[in-house]
Amino acid sequence: MSVALYHWEPNANSGKPMLALVEKGVAFESRYLDLLNFDQHKPEYLAVNPQGTIPAMVHDGRVLTESTAMMEYVDEAFDGPALMPAGAADRWRVRWWMKFMDQWLGPSFSMVGWSVFVGPSVRQRDPEELDAAIGRIPLPERRVAWRKAISGNFSEAEMAESKRRIALGIDLLERALGEREWLGSDVYSLADINGFNSGYALPLSQPGLANDALTPNIMRWLRAIYARPATRQTWAMGRTQMASRVSILESEPA
Amino acid sequence: MTAILYHGEPNGPSLTVLAAAFEKQAPVELRRIDLAAGERHGGAVPCPFEVSLSIEGEGPVLVADGVAMADSVFVACYLDDAGGGPALRPADPYARWEMMAWCRQVIERAAPAAAFLGTQAHLAPRLAEMAEPAFAQLTGAIASIDLAERWKAVRAGDFPEAQVADSRAKIAQAVERVEARLAGGRKWLFGDFSIADLETYSWLAGMAALVPDGFAGAPRTREWLARVKARPSVARALALASVPAPQDAWAPGPEINRWG
Repeated sequence: MSVALYHWEPNANSGKPMLALVEKGVAFESRYLDLLNFDQHKPEYLAVNPQGTIPAMVHDGRVLTESTAMMEYVDEAFDGPALMPAGAADRWRVRWWMKFMDQWLGPSFSMVGWSVFVGPSVRQRDPEELDAAIGRIPLPERRVAWRKAISGNFSEAEMAESKRRIALGIDLLERALGEREWLGSDVYSLADINGFNSGYALPLSQPGLANDALTPNIMRWLRAIYARPATRQTWAMGRTQMASRVSILESEPA
Repeated sequence: MTAILYHGEPNGPSLTVLAAAFEKQAPVELRRIDLAAGERHGGAVPCPFEVSLSIEGEGPVLVADGVAMADSVFVACYLDDAGGGPALRPADPYARWEMMAWCRQVIERAAPAAAFLGTQAHLAPRLAEMAEPAFAQLTGAIASIDLAERWKAVRAGDFPEAQVADSRAKIAQAVERVEARLAGGRKWLFGDFSIADLETYSWLAGMAALVPDGFAGAPRTREWLARVKARPSVARALALASVPAPQDAWAPGPEINRWG
């Protein structure tokens, strides 16, 4: 059996299958792609995933994309602890939260994250080289997104909407985590892996909205996930300041 | 325990869940609501935040095990997980991943485009005729600010040309994917009949009239659409329609990706 994972930092979509594989105890070959160097749009990677999105997993010669569906595959295809709850309604809730993170809250986090991290990092490059790199992106909507991120070209209205969503999303997370120990059910699941990958740096990036006083349940939840050996092992694979933000969770509850 | 399904006309997400329930022969009590009149927000339907903030926009709500559930693919997965009857997802993990990844692309790319074009053609005239106080009451009951904004855009006829063109392209791409998937004589998209057939059909059936060019060179897709329509569970759902053309019944759906 062979498993290779093409991924960037333990963060957002890349971190989801990384953490799921480590939780399951599945050994995998790590193939790190530098997102900021546009490794994901180079021919050798497009031969694996023509859409040029990361992550991608190759299991015994078969390619898988779409990080959330990939996590469900990891849970079903390998031995190891179950990462989905047993009850059908709990499974529904896990999937609901993953979609909510993937399609509503996560993009708002990343719009802010790109404007403060990815955009400024990439803007230091030669503009012509950048333009050529963006021209090689297969999906038109990703080309638009990269151009916006690089130019810092998010409108005030777009940023305001992202901030509204972040505040509401944090409120919903706090409410959900006040009702049960983990995000989707009473057991640790893919919803927690998904949510942690979007939210691990919240106390650093949104200190006025996510902190011990205002969101004790979110803080409890983030620290509990960070305390898991699999999480430590996964975040140790990070190479940039983005992933090292996770150390904020080493703080003691206030 | 009997579950309650609040559903709209058999099109889009309501059709997916109705037909999934019939496939599974699930003991479900059906309660019709007019999604296009905003009835999901009127107080009769349980509306916890998982329903009111559903990414899908105006879709059906299944109340079972004391939980109100939205998002048609996941409600169909619930019915598949919870009940007996024929499986609606492949058993093999890789085939199941293929099916779920397919549904994800339908949810993210085809569904917003279909809801955009469908509401432009069929809901906008109806909303434009509403008196302002009635419309204000309708949108005032909607907890999700971004969903309420989509309702207002439909009433105002705010359908930017670029998004219309992009939506038409997304529907054409979805048909291309179906056509390619059905090559080699496949009867259904993933082996046995599955949630992917239901979800894809539910969003595309009403598009044949609105984006005819997209379907012109797709004979396998047209045959597959007819096959799904004739499936007993789908036929039974379609027979519940209270309008002559349920494929034209649209309410504001998922938002178009904000990143472009």
